[in-house]
Amino acid sequence: MGSITFSHVYKHYKGESRPAVNDFHLSIEEGEFLVLVGPSGCGKSTTLRMLAGLEDITEGDLYIDEKFVNYVSPKDRDIAMVFQNYALYPNLTVFENIALGLKLRKTAKHDIELRVNRVAKILEISHLLERKPSQLSGGQKQRVALGRAIAREPQVFLMDEPLSNLDAKLRAQTRAEIIKLQSDLKRTMVYVTHDQVEAMTMGTRIVVMKDGVIQQVAPPRQLYDEPANLFVAGFIGSPQMNFLEGSLVREDGRYYFLNKRMKLLVPERHYEHFAVKTASLRNCVLGVRPEHVWLKRENEEKDEPEDGFVRCVVEMTEVTGADSYVYVKLGEKTVIGRTEPETMYEKEEKLLIGFNMNKVHFFDEQSGVSLAAGGEEG
Amino acid sequence: MIRRLRRVTPFQVILVTVFTALAAFMSLPIIFILNHAFKPQNELFLFPPRFLVQNPTLRNFESLILHASNATVPFTRYLFNSLIVAGLTLGTVIIVSTMAGYVLAKYQFHFKQLILSLITLSLMFAPETVGIPRYLIISGLGINNTYFGHILPALASPIAVFMLVGFISQIPGELLEAAKMDGASHFGIFTKMVLPLSVPAIATISIFTFQGVWGDVETSTLFMQEETMRTLAFYVNSLLSGLQNSVSGQNVAAAAGLLMFLPNLIIFLLFQRRVLETMVHSGIK
Ligand SMILES: Nc1ncnc2c1ncn2[C@@H]1O[C@H](COP(=O)(O)OP(=O)(O)OP(=O)(O)O)[C@@H](O)[C@H]1O
Ligand SMILES: [Mg+2]
Repeated sequence: MGSITFSHVYKHYKGESRPAVNDFHLSIEEGEFLVLVGPSGCGKSTTLRMLAGLEDITEGDLYIDEKFVNYVSPKDRDIAMVFQNYALYPNLTVFENIALGLKLRKTAKHDIELRVNRVAKILEISHLLERKPSQLSGGQKQRVALGRAIAREPQVFLMDEPLSNLDAKLRAQTRAEIIKLQSDLKRTMVYVTHDQVEAMTMGTRIVVMKDGVIQQVAPPRQLYDEPANLFVAGFIGSPQMNFLEGSLVREDGRYYFLNKRMKLLVPERHYEHFAVKTASLRNCVLGVRPEHVWLKRENEEKDEPEDGFVRCVVEMTEVTGADSYVYVKLGEKTVIGRTEPETMYEKEEKLLIGFNMNKVHFFDEQSGVSLAAGGEEG
Repeated sequence: MIRRLRRVTPFQVILVTVFTALAAFMSLPIIFILNHAFKPQNELFLFPPRFLVQNPTLRNFESLILHASNATVPFTRYLFNSLIVAGLTLGTVIIVSTMAGYVLAKYQFHFKQLILSLITLSLMFAPETVGIPRYLIISGLGINNTYFGHILPALASPIAVFMLVGFISQIPGELLEAAKMDGASHFGIFTKMVLPLSVPAIATISIFTFQGVWGDVETSTLFMQEETMRTLAFYVNSLLSGLQNSVSGQNVAAAAGLLMFLPNLIIFLLFQRRVLETMVHSGIK
């Protein structure tokens, strides 16, 4: 119960030239915590609203539990949704807000009371049941909105940026609660956010979208370690992955990444991908995350930096507490590297920079597709 | 900080003074009507006239009742007609206008813009210009001398629909969608969400709809040939015009004037409270 299948779903809003959702093709297993993430306007809400039945599907089929539901009305889909601005009924008390869905489904009165009280206890809002929404704080409203969804015990939960109106501390706390709630209830959850940290911490699988198109679907770890293209690589991870343009050249059976400033030996495990993507080798992009950047002070005695290291200049340092990030200038390009918080570099200080070549990624510059990604030539 | 907020600026003093004076000036007619009805004959003709009554008396009302009991149709019949007509009109206008307002504000359908434009357009017609077509419709339908004939012309209230469309479009769409997901039908959303949330707007349209109907003379004059179907407003109006030059009629007129005015005041006070209350407690920001 609670599995969902999108089969080549499109959404065209009237008067818009571009589809808001473009060929959304995905199966969601029952009990899965799926997160939709992407920049503003990429079609996350639209996808969610089509799943809820609040928006017509222009093209394609939608199945819930193998049942074709394109034309099934929202109330018959056994789905509950939490809206970004909570959408609590202002004219009803908290109790009535939570109870309304049950009442409309003709649940017996004592049963309603039982369920509302149980939900209120889980969410610690029992003392608020008689209040009106206008008398609640943002966090409390959020809980009531969650309670309203839970009380109905639907097969599928939908949440559209439910935490975006909360402050950082409350957001982290509620995030943990939602994760716990989902694992307790074991219901399918589709969760929309534009916050990649939220996506990475909550989802069992993450869908990254851009301009209505799915960029990659993967578990958080895989999304981080094996981004399918430049967009995903840049979107997931904070601070961003560093990108350097260049080309891959072959010398004596070995590949080197080459640009104006550096020549880096590429480990062998990449070679099999290069063999099938020869067209991409001339113009490619090297991606390296800040934690895979090595920075060190220059050894005064040597004239030439050791292999794999080049000179750079510190631009600024950002201390976040646990780590510090050093922004260095490599020619025109700014590269971010993570260092121990204890090592302090001066502004304008000259350093040596190198990359952990076992952890770098290569992308086709034109299409942005990862060279490690399977499939046909980009 | 609080101190600074509390400090009264000269501007505020001027503002409060001006508005108080304005409010006092606006309430003069009301005070006059209230006092006038209780003035004995000699005070009614006092020159220069006085606002406040000196020796209040109920004689004027006695005269009114006496006068009315001599008429062909009893006074109570007019009153009954007025109450029925005002009540039914108010109810039906609210039902029709809120439904129309909800649909026009929250649903997409063909010719919606055209309908909205027509409603806006009809706001611009002076009532006199539609008098003849209205007469043709009423007599064509054969509903002269029926309560329906009273209600129908008032039923289509473009200003009420117009106001409600504006008000209901302010209700967040998510709220109605949440209700939809909770399992409410279209009608359920209308009765459980839209109606309660529109109470301030409904109160407002109730006030002016009631005033319009209660004071309406035209319908009784044009469409009701039978005296038994005419309303209190018509009776008072003809009473006043008949008494215009008679000295003895002035006291009857004063009492009748108050009688016509009171329900308006009551309705206004009743609904005005609701307007404020709902705005405070609804949580709509
Ligand atoms: N009712 C509508 N009519 C026309 N276009 C719309 C409508 N709703 C959304 N769009 C367009 O569809 C695209 C996707 O919108 P959507 O709301 O799904 O974005 P989103 O990913 O949820 O963004 P956000 O993170 O800002 O909420 C946007 O370009 C938007 O302008
Ligand atoms: Mg959105």
